[in-house]
Amino acid sequence: MKIIEIQDVVKKFGQQCALDGLSLSVEQGCTFGLLGPNGAGKTTLIRILTCIYQADGGTILFQGHPLTPTDVARIGYLPEERGLYKKMTVSEQAIYLARLRGLSRADAVSNLKKWFRKFEIDSWWNRRVEELSKGMQQKIQFIVTVVHQPDFLIFDEPFSGFDPINADLLKREILELKQRGATIILSTHNMASVEEICDDIALINHGRVLLEGGVNDVRRRFRKNQYTITLEGDTLPAGEFPEELFEILSHHTEGYHTILLLQATPDTGANALLDYFIHRHTVLSFNEVLPSMNDIFISSVQTQNKNH
Amino acid sequence: MNKIWVIITREYLVRVKKKSFIITTFLMPLLMVAMIMLPVYLANKAEKECTVYVLDENDYFIHRFHNTSKIKFEYPSGELETLKKRCVNGECDAVLHILAGNQSNHANLFFYSDPPLSLKGGISDQMDEIMFDHSLQKEFQIDIEKYKMLKTTSHSDIQTVQIDEEGQGTNRMMELNRVVGMLCGLIIYMFVFMYANIVMRSTIEEKSNRIMEVIVSSVKPFQFMMGKIVGVALAGITQFVLQVAFVLILLVGVGMALPAMVPEMASATGDVASAEVVGTAQSDIFSNISAFYSFPFSTIVICFFLYFLLGYLIYASLFAGIGSTVDNETDSNQFVLPVSLPLILSLMVIVTGISPQSTLVRWLSLIPFTSPIAMLYRLPSRVPAWELGLSLLLLAATFVLCVWLSAKIYRVGLLNYGKKVTWKDLGKWITGKW
Repeated sequence: MKIIEIQDVVKKFGQQCALDGLSLSVEQGCTFGLLGPNGAGKTTLIRILTCIYQADGGTILFQGHPLTPTDVARIGYLPEERGLYKKMTVSEQAIYLARLRGLSRADAVSNLKKWFRKFEIDSWWNRRVEELSKGMQQKIQFIVTVVHQPDFLIFDEPFSGFDPINADLLKREILELKQRGATIILSTHNMASVEEICDDIALINHGRVLLEGGVNDVRRRFRKNQYTITLEGDTLPAGEFPEELFEILSHHTEGYHTILLLQATPDTGANALLDYFIHRHTVLSFNEVLPSMNDIFISSVQTQNKNH
Repeated sequence: MNKIWVIITREYLVRVKKKSFIITTFLMPLLMVAMIMLPVYLANKAEKECTVYVLDENDYFIHRFHNTSKIKFEYPSGELETLKKRCVNGECDAVLHILAGNQSNHANLFFYSDPPLSLKGGISDQMDEIMFDHSLQKEFQIDIEKYKMLKTTSHSDIQTVQIDEEGQGTNRMMELNRVVGMLCGLIIYMFVFMYANIVMRSTIEEKSNRIMEVIVSSVKPFQFMMGKIVGVALAGITQFVLQVAFVLILLVGVGMALPAMVPEMASATGDVASAEVVGTAQSDIFSNISAFYSFPFSTIVICFFLYFLLGYLIYASLFAGIGSTVDNETDSNQFVLPVSLPLILSLMVIVTGISPQSTLVRWLSLIPFTSPIAMLYRLPSRVPAWELGLSLLLLAATFVLCVWLSAKIYRVGLLNYGKKVTWKDLGKWITGKW
């Protein structure tokens, strides 16, 4: 079932067209990577989803009905530009933001206490926000995003400004939310985390969807028929290799193993390659090399910009 | 609705808990009362009694000066030089040397350490009087004692009575009308400006803090703007009420302490200038006490709060709109000045003391952006009910319009960073073509 369906959404800022008939949909319970270069329209799209902006055209369905501000209360949104009131104490601030998200004071306090214990930051409860480091403030911001237990979350560049430890903590929390069945839209430039966390992605550029689908599907779509094979022995096997089957792009040895990167010819399948090696060498492993999201991102955007 | 309440509560508590709020709440009235009381106190208390040696070459003025609480006249015999020396030695504060012959209206006042400023005036007043009496007697053969008696008994007493349509009169003080009007106008000006500015500054702060997007993803920008405006208004009203109460307490306290502080004031009878002014002003107020009580206080208090509130709401919403368009306070000036111009204009008009019944004030009291100040200035004098109603109606309509306009600007401005906004941009935002 689709939780969000966006159809032909248009948003203009003066002469500039931020979203140019964009359509995409997000499955319930899916972790969705919203990718694109700076200025592609990601934040604009998110602000339309959170009803901060109104679209100039197109429709947005939330669980099958047109999106209303009441639905937004069920969304947890962590904006890219996120700040806190410097002069308030952490608890006052968190309670205030939780109440704005619709919790009663008592619920806000009990939920927040749970999260503070989980993040081991109980001792900050009465500290002023201005005393906290940036990383600490980010934790608070994450907590107030999820404090009302939303089943639909939007994170805009959640990893920016996090140190590796906190970024890892955040990643684990996102995965935990995912396991609990929440739908998550993740807008990020961190492609490694996209491969790790996301089920589906949409790559947008110039206000349109450039590429859409499951992470593995997309990577398969961009496969280049390359494989790695690990053979026993510390030297490259002597002799000629059949050019009609493959060519060796690179090779190196690790201990008593030799690892080859192969470019198969268009007609050659994985089995044919394996068949060739298995009769001549001891094959320890054999893998297809799929392009990384990073490579796909760069090549797709560059190709489109060139054609534009 | 519930969320607006959460916002109002926060905005209110944050302001009321601030140290600066508590300080200004109690310091301002203290300063105000001090400013009123200090000159009175100083004029009466700080000036010690001065001893003046009189040396009259004609011997005419000898024993004709009368001693007051401020000046004691003595007539020692001796040369001017010896008297001067005695002055240097501190035996007296000044030596008054009245010249001889046809220069008898000329005098030198010698002093060693600075005497009070009022000393010269005090002496010269008495000299004038003595010379005048002398002339009366000499030129017109008038009996001075009789003349003085006549002078005190022929005293006019004008009661100012303001009449209504049926000619029914109420005791009124014309000056009181003006002063109360001016005071109300001033207070409204101060509070509207101060609190509208607070709304603007806090909006700018939320923008530069980058907390704005976190908030407007949970509440509508309009809710947030209104919550802030109302929260700040409540803080303002709290401060105002506290200040009024504090001023009253202070005044009552000072009023009780005053007779002890300034004993002369109670028995002020033609003394030195300052005491006399205070004395007569006081007796004037007390003699017009009936005028004071017949003053239309309830109307003024009700209207004061209505105009205070509506005026604040108009300017606060405009200032919130302005705050949302800029990244820092300095950029806000280009919008703040034109918007606050009407307020400044109306303040200038009332401070110049132009008649509340003039055509200018009448128009200003109808125009929504100036009426909160101008109408309050006019109100203690007569204002036809329909004009008051029209003015309030226009003001309320303007409030709705301003909130609508500002909300349009606000929701776009909030997340607009970096680019400096022009008037043209604002037009586009309002018409929705951005």
